[in-house]
Amino acid sequence: MKLVSEIGVGTVAAGVAKAKADHVTIAGFEGGTGASPLTSIKHAGSPWEIGLAETQQTLVLNGLRSRIAVQVDGGLRTGRDVLVGALLGADEFGFATAPLIAVGCIMMRKCHLNTCPVGIATQDPVLRKLFSGAPEHVINYFFFMAEEVREYMAALGFTKLEELIGRSEILDKSEAIDHWKARGLDFSRIFHKPQVGPEVSLSNTERQDHELEEVLDRKFIELSKDALENRKPVKLDLPIKNIDRTAGAMLSGEVATRYGHKGLSEDTIWITLRGSAGQSFGAWLAHGVTLDLIGEGNDYVGKGLSGGRIIVRPPEEAKIVPEESIIVGNTVLYGAITGECYFHGVAGERFGVRNSGALAVVEGTGDHGCEYMTGGVVVVLGGTGRNFAAGMSGGVAYVLDEAGDFEQRCNMAMVDLEPIPAEEQFNAQDQHQINDMESHGLVDLTDMTKDDEKRLRQLIQNHLHYTGSKRARQILENWGEYLPKFIKVMPVEYRRALEEMAEAQAAEDTGLAELEVGMPDAK
Amino acid sequence: MGKVTGFLEIEREDRSLEPAADRVRHYREFVKPLPEGEVKDQAARCMDCGIPYCHQGCPVNNQIPDWNDLVYHTDWQEAARNLHSTNNFPEVTGRVCPAPCEAACTLNIHDDAVAIKSIECAIADKSFEEGWVEPQPPEHETGKKVAVIGSGPSGMACAQQLRRVGHEVHLYEKNAQPGGLLRYGIPDFKMEKHIIERRHQQMEAEGVVFHLNTHIGKDVEAKKLLSDYDAIVLAGGSESPRDLPIEGRELDGVHFAMDFLTQQNRRVSSEDLGDVEPILADGKHVVVIGGGDTGSDCIGTSFRQGAVSVTQLEIMPMPPMQEDKMLTWPHWPLKFRTSSSQAEGADRDFSVSTKRFIGEDGKVTTLECQRLDEEMKPIEGSEFQLKADLVLLAMGFVHPVKQGMLEALGLELDGRGNVKANTNDYQTSTDKIFAAGDMRRGQSLVVWAIREGRQAAHAVDKFLMGTTDLPR
Ligand SMILES: Cc1cc2nc3c(=O)[nH]c(=O)nc-3n(C[C@H](O)[C@H](O)[C@H](O)COP(=O)(O)OP(=O)(O)OC[C@H]3O[C@@H](n4cnc5c(N)ncnc54)[C@H](O)[C@@H]3O)c2cc1C
Ligand code: SF4
Repeated sequence: MKLVSEIGVGTVAAGVAKAKADHVTIAGFEGGTGASPLTSIKHAGSPWEIGLAETQQTLVLNGLRSRIAVQVDGGLRTGRDVLVGALLGADEFGFATAPLIAVGCIMMRKCHLNTCPVGIATQDPVLRKLFSGAPEHVINYFFFMAEEVREYMAALGFTKLEELIGRSEILDKSEAIDHWKARGLDFSRIFHKPQVGPEVSLSNTERQDHELEEVLDRKFIELSKDALENRKPVKLDLPIKNIDRTAGAMLSGEVATRYGHKGLSEDTIWITLRGSAGQSFGAWLAHGVTLDLIGEGNDYVGKGLSGGRIIVRPPEEAKIVPEESIIVGNTVLYGAITGECYFHGVAGERFGVRNSGALAVVEGTGDHGCEYMTGGVVVVLGGTGRNFAAGMSGGVAYVLDEAGDFEQRCNMAMVDLEPIPAEEQFNAQDQHQINDMESHGLVDLTDMTKDDEKRLRQLIQNHLHYTGSKRARQILENWGEYLPKFIKVMPVEYRRALEEMAEAQAAEDTGLAELEVGMPDAK
Repeated sequence: MGKVTGFLEIEREDRSLEPAADRVRHYREFVKPLPEGEVKDQAARCMDCGIPYCHQGCPVNNQIPDWNDLVYHTDWQEAARNLHSTNNFPEVTGRVCPAPCEAACTLNIHDDAVAIKSIECAIADKSFEEGWVEPQPPEHETGKKVAVIGSGPSGMACAQQLRRVGHEVHLYEKNAQPGGLLRYGIPDFKMEKHIIERRHQQMEAEGVVFHLNTHIGKDVEAKKLLSDYDAIVLAGGSESPRDLPIEGRELDGVHFAMDFLTQQNRRVSSEDLGDVEPILADGKHVVVIGGGDTGSDCIGTSFRQGAVSVTQLEIMPMPPMQEDKMLTWPHWPLKFRTSSSQAEGADRDFSVSTKRFIGEDGKVTTLECQRLDEEMKPIEGSEFQLKADLVLLAMGFVHPVKQGMLEALGLELDGRGNVKANTNDYQTSTDKIFAAGDMRRGQSLVVWAIREGRQAAHAVDKFLMGTTDLPR
C-alpha cells in the first residue's frame, strides 16, 4: 500500500496494518516520473521524513510495527538518505530516479513523448538502440550507496541495519535545529521515540499468516473441478461476504495454467454469488468464467480483467433505484485487458482507468471516468462525474447525456466528442432483434471509427439480457428518442492510429490483428 | 518546444565554408549563412530538454531552447529579444564562440548537437538586418560615474549594461579603436570589424563616452580615476604573452603572435601601423609554436599573406580523435579538432618541444626541436630541425600587464598573477575597483568575457545603488 506522506498518514498506515498488508510505502513529496509536470515532481505534499516519523510512531504505539514492513521513497539518492530513513523507522527503501540515471537517464523529462534520446522511456526502435546502460551500472550505484551506509553505520557503532531501525534518538539533529532558518520551529514530535517496553518491536520482525487456505476461491476451484479438468460446464450458486477479496482470481489462475490466456469456452464456469463482495471482485477473471454477483461490489471490481464476464446487479427484492445507487466502488476495471462487465447501477470514481480492451456497461460513474484508457468500450447509461476521459488515448466511450452538459465534465485535452449517426442500413437489417430483448450477441469491434450505433445497441441489449436493467429496456424501447442523446468520446490520437492502420491494411492487405493498438482480441 | 520529433527527422546541417583555395585570397568572412528555412529546420531539432544542459554549457546562460522554439515558429523578433536578454553581442559569439553549448547539447551524446551557434548568429544577424537592434538609452540618470578600462568584450558588455541603468559610463581604451582582442587579435576572416563598429555606434547612442587612444597608467594617471569616479571596472584583458626564453630567442624573425596579428588587423582596417617594423609571412616558411586559437589565427593570416609553408607545433600530445562521451558529456571535451585555418593546409605536429632557434646574420633560419614521451620528458635522440624564416609564439597569455595601471593601483593579485576578485561581487582588494574578463580570470573566451562584464555590471550597480535589476 503506497501512502502519500502527509499529516494523518500514521492513522492510515495503522489501518492498513490491521488489514494485514505486508508493506506500506510512505511516499515523500520529491521525485516522480519525468512525464509529469515539474510542479508535480517537486514539493507535491510533504517530505517523507515527516510522514515516516508519524507512521513509525503510530505503528509502534499500537503494537503493529512488527507485522508490517515500512518502506520509504521520494527522491532518495544517497546512503545518508537510507540511514536517516532507517533511523526514522523504515525497513525498506525505494529508488527509481537515481538508478535510472545510473543507466543513462539524463532527466530529459520526455517519458511521455516517446522521444527519450537515451533510449530508456521509448518504444522507438531507433532510439532504443541508443540505450547504453548495463545492469552493472545499477549494481555499481547500489554498491557505492551500500558502502556509504556501511560507513555511517560504522561511525555510529552498528553492524546491522535492523538494529538501527526506528532509533530516532541516535540522529544528530543539532546542526539542523540550530540552523538560523529553523529558529522557532519545534521538531520534537518528528524525532519523538515512543516509550515502549522491550517486547514491542521497532521494525518488521514477523511474517503474517494470510490464511490463504481459507479463501473463497479454494471452494470455487474445488467445485469447478469438472470444468477445469474436463471442460464441462459448471454452475454454482454461493454466498459471498466483504472479507472475500479478489474472488475469482485464483480460479482464473487455475484456468490460465491449464488453458492459457484463451481460457475455456464462454460461460463454462458460471458462478452466481449473493451478498456484498470484498475488494477486487473478479480480478484477472479468465475467459470462460462468468461471475454473476447479486448484491454489490467494492473497489477494484474487474481489476486486470482477462477475458471473463462480470455481472453485478442488486437483488430483485432491494428497494433501491439501481440507476441512482452505487453498485461498485472506485477504480473498477483498473488495467483490464479484455472481457465484459455489466453493472446494473452506478460506479465510483476512476471507472475504467487504464482499461486497454474490456467492454463495460454501467448506469453512471463518479469523477475521472475512463482515465488513461487505451482501448475497449465503455457505455455509461447515465451521468458521469467531472474530468471524464483525462489522458484517454484509446478505446471509445458512449455516454448518455440526457442533461446535455457532458461536455463541461469531460476533459477535452485528448478526445473529441461526436454524435452517433443513425445507421439506416443497420436499422433495417437488425430490425428483428429489437423485439427480441432476451437475445445477447457479439459486439462488433472491427472498426471503431464506424458502426457505432450497432455496437452501442448490442452492448445495451447485452446489459438488459444479463442484468434485467429497466433503464436498458427503456432506452431500447425508445431507441429513436435516446440515440441522439448519446455522445461518442473518441480519442484524437486513437482515431489517427486507426485510420493509419486502415490505410496500411488497404495497401498491404495484411490482417488487422497483427497491428496492435490495444484492441481487444477479435471475437 | 521545437518539433517533438524534429531531431529524429532532420539531420544536423551547419554553415558551409568557402573552399580553402578561394578563401585564402582575401580577409573577408568565409562562413556562409544558412538560408532562413534551413535555420528553422535546425531549430526544430531542439528537444527542449527537461534539464537543458546547454543553459549551463553556455557561459552567458543563453536560453537556447526558448529561442530555438521561437525560430521554429518563425517569431524571429521575439527570439532576438530573448537572445539579447542574456547576451550583449550574439553576432560576435555567433561567429567566434567555440560553442560549449553544443558540447553540452543532449544530442551531442550521439554527436549531432543542435546547430546552436549558427542559429544564434542567424537571429543576431537578422535583428540587425531588420533594424531591431536599437540604442536603449536609460530612462533616468542616476548621477553616478563609472569608468570602465578596456574595451574588449567584457568592458563593452559591462559599459553597455551600466549605461542602460542610467550611470554615466566612460570607457577607456589605449588603442585607436574599441573591441580589444575582437579588434586586434581575432582576424577579419573570422569576424569582420564593422561588426564591432555597429555596437560601438549603438553604445555611443546610448550615451557611453568612449575615450580612445587613452592609456590608463600612461596618458591618464590611474589613481586619478579614484577621485573622478564612483566606481571603476578594470577589463584590460590578459595581455602578457608566454615567452620561450631559449637560445636564439633574440633573433630577427621570432615574434609574439599578437604583434603579428595586430599588424594585419590594422592593415585590413587601414589603420596606422605606427612606428613598427612590419612582420610579414609572404614567401616564408612559418612555424607557429602553440596549438590554440591564437596559433590558428596565425596560420590563417600567414596563408593569406602568402606563406610557403606553415607548421604548427604543440607541446602536448595529440588528443584523441573521439572523446569518451560517458566521461566528458556535458562538459567541453579534450579532443582532436581542426580549425578552419588549420584546414587551409598547415602541418601539425604534437609532443614537440623547441630546444633552440638557429640563425644566420641575426635572422632565424632553423628550429631545433625534440620529441616528448607521454610523461612530457624529452626522448633521447629524437632531435630534429625545421626550416623557419618566421617563428610566431602563440603559447598563450600568462596574466595581465602589471606595469602601469595595476602597479599604480597596488591591487592584490591571485596566485596566477590575475587581478584578485571573486565572481559574486567582482570587487578587487580596493574599494570601488572591480575587475572582469581576462584581467580577472586569465586568458579565456569571448563569451566568458561577456558574462563577466555583465555580472560585474550587476555587482557595480548594486554597489552604487544598494539594489539592482541587472541580471547576473
Ligand atoms: C589571437 C586570439 C584569438 C582568439 N580567438 C578567440 C575565439 O575565436 N573565440 C573566443 O571565444 N575567444 C578567442 N580569444 C580569446 C578572447 O579574445 C579573449 O578571451 C577576450 O577577448 C577577453 O576579453 P576582455 O574584454 O577580458 O579582454 P581584451 O579583449 O583583451 O580587451 C582588453 C582591452 O583593454 C585594453 N587595455 C588594457 N589595459 C589598458 C589600460 N591600462 N588602459 C586602457 N586600455 C587598456 C586593451 O587595449 C584591450 O582593448 C582569442 C584570443 C586571441 C589572443
Ligand atoms: S554564446 Fe557560445 S556557448 Fe552561448 S549559445 Fe552562443 S555559441 Fe553557444
